[in-house]
Amino acid sequence: MDFSWSEEQANLRESMAKFAREELNEGLAARDKNGEFNREGWNTCAKMGVHGLPVPTAYGGLGMDALTTVGVLESLGYGCEDNGLVFSINAHMWTLETPIMGFGTEEQKKKFLPKLTSGEWIGANAMSEPGAGSDAYSIATTAKKKGDVYLLNGGKVFCSNGPIADVYLAFANTDPALGANGVTGFLVERTAPGLSLGKHTEKMGLRTSPMCEVFFEDCEVPEANRLGREGAGKMLFADSMSWERGCILASAVGTMRRLLETSIEYASAREQFGQPIGKFQMIQSKIVDMKLRLDTARAFLYQSAYQKSRGKSVYLEAAMAKLYISESWIECARHALQIHGGYGYTVEYKIERELRDALASTLFSGTSEIQRTIIASLMGL
Amino acid sequence: MERQDIVDTVKKFILEQFLPGEDPDELTTDTPLMTTGILDSLATLKLVTFLEQEFDITVEAHEADAANLNTLDLIADLVDGKL
Repeated sequence: MDFSWSEEQANLRESMAKFAREELNEGLAARDKNGEFNREGWNTCAKMGVHGLPVPTAYGGLGMDALTTVGVLESLGYGCEDNGLVFSINAHMWTLETPIMGFGTEEQKKKFLPKLTSGEWIGANAMSEPGAGSDAYSIATTAKKKGDVYLLNGGKVFCSNGPIADVYLAFANTDPALGANGVTGFLVERTAPGLSLGKHTEKMGLRTSPMCEVFFEDCEVPEANRLGREGAGKMLFADSMSWERGCILASAVGTMRRLLETSIEYASAREQFGQPIGKFQMIQSKIVDMKLRLDTARAFLYQSAYQKSRGKSVYLEAAMAKLYISESWIECARHALQIHGGYGYTVEYKIERELRDALASTLFSGTSEIQRTIIASLMGL
Repeated sequence: MERQDIVDTVKKFILEQFLPGEDPDELTTDTPLMTTGILDSLATLKLVTFLEQEFDITVEAHEADAANLNTLDLIADLVDGKL
């Protein structure tokens, strides 16, 4: 496996990190406090091509392979301290754009992808329900065919981008008697009759990425907006999860690098007992652990993306990448906070926000427990 | 590879992984696998991964549904069409 970057890829990564550092961080503390989404930053990222990195050029994207895409997203995460904005972009890409790329008809691709890659439209995924979290296919939302439309009924929770989305990939069961084999995906536009938004979900971290409940009450969805066949929702979801798990934490690898560099800088400048704290072996040990975590996480990320670029299914590799990177991100943020001591606990030093943001990563896109279950199963256990 | 070889290989895998102890004669080429729950969501991922590795093929996500994987016959058709 050759993970060396071409000159073009290296330039793209460098310019992305520089752009993110200069354009996306101003005013973040206030946005985090108030739970505000940075729409201007979203639009700027779209102009830079972020939203359409893996989308074919025919639909307005950059047509990058999976490895280049995660490399650029890693640089975005390195430069952009607004982990919520980056999360919103990732949710948009991996839970809406890639499912349309894989399962959409030509008409659906032409209708939705250009608006999504340009940033004009924001996408969201509506799968989780109060009674269907890790047991994702036990959803109670139903879809009944009536003429040339489906009528959706049910409610969704934890819908990232929900309050600001223009289109939702909603999962509903078209034949509950079939259980998981009746789950079907629908592209539901914000203006669809019968769609309403519930309360805004306030969160511990990723506060700049808005989340809410979504309700469908005889919500009319044209048959032309069904994504894939009836009953194909199971693999639609599994495939989008495979993309998501393999790629969503690319930016977290960049964030881990930022945390490492910040910690080294602080440990070199902060003096106690007459010398920089970085001279103490217990601080050194934490920084070495962070470096090991970062480099191993990066290897998992690139391996998964490389296999994806070769057209292979990456259910195992993506689950391993998701599991390892998420747990490493949390460990790196915890170490960074500990190295910064009392200052790390203050809002001013930004580390506490990084830790709050990291904590969600072992929950979304399948908990660590679910990732371990998948990995064990795919190893033949 | 003959079509029967594909059926035998996949049948052996399904019996070992998802139906341990089952009488092999009970698993016929038209036994429903997905609609009866023998292949749940995780088992489907496992089967797809096996097919890709064993036969050196790529199974697209949109192909991995009951229309292509519900019986040994359908699975053999899918694999055979890619060899």
